[in-house]
Amino acid sequence: MQRAHRLALGALLACSTGAAALAAETQAPSQAPAAQAAAPQSNAASAKGAGAMSWSAPLQNKIAQCQGCHGIEGWRTAFPEVYHVPKLEGQKPEYIVAALKEYQNGERTFATMRAIASQLSDEDMQGIAKYYGAQNTNTAEKK
Amino acid sequence: MKLVQILLAASVACACGTVLASGNPEAGHKKSTPCQACHGPNGISVSPAFPNLAGQNPDYIMTALRHYKEGKRKNPIMQGQAANLSERDIEDLAAYFSSQKGLEYKH
Repeated sequence: MQRAHRLALGALLACSTGAAALAAETQAPSQAPAAQAAAPQSNAASAKGAGAMSWSAPLQNKIAQCQGCHGIEGWRTAFPEVYHVPKLEGQKPEYIVAALKEYQNGERTFATMRAIASQLSDEDMQGIAKYYGAQNTNTAEKK
Repeated sequence: MKLVQILLAASVACACGTVLASGNPEAGHKKSTPCQACHGPNGISVSPAFPNLAGQNPDYIMTALRHYKEGKRKNPIMQGQAANLSERDIEDLAAYFSSQKGLEYKH
């Protein structure tokens, strides 16, 4: 019994260490979004679904900010509640704009999103919505 | 021994790294009729004003529904819908919509 407890606790500990390592690994790309976006073959420009659309360098920077969390499978919020951040690929573009505006004007209150949305222009929001929504909305409907 | 089983289950769930829905998707399907009016029977919404739910992370759906229910997130339609949902309903609905094909991670 004692041994089983120790084993279980050991497993949990190993699991949380693994999670920390994974977090460290996945955090790295999110900490260098500007550098990535500045490169010609950036995340945003080469991402699947980008198709023939082109993204201006400033918009690529904004998209890289989104991708720092929403582009990482399994990424969770840290505070004040822990849950997986929503998937955005295939979302309705109009809904993405509406959500960003609600963060900007304070109707939605999640602090990280409020901080990011406060720096976005209407044009940025349209661009981000197009990046996540335009291609896959159709794909999702065909499925 | 029960504690050990719980801890082991937790570590396995953690190691998998997948988002596990705690609810029952079939029960969620039965409860989802009012949701379908706007979010579509397949989780692809009928109007650009409403978000697609198909494939969304279940814990995100649950958080959103709880926030509507508690009034932390404000929307006249959704606050009305979420007001009468039990915790079990919320888990089942999240399990149902997250099991559909639609939203994805963009890499």
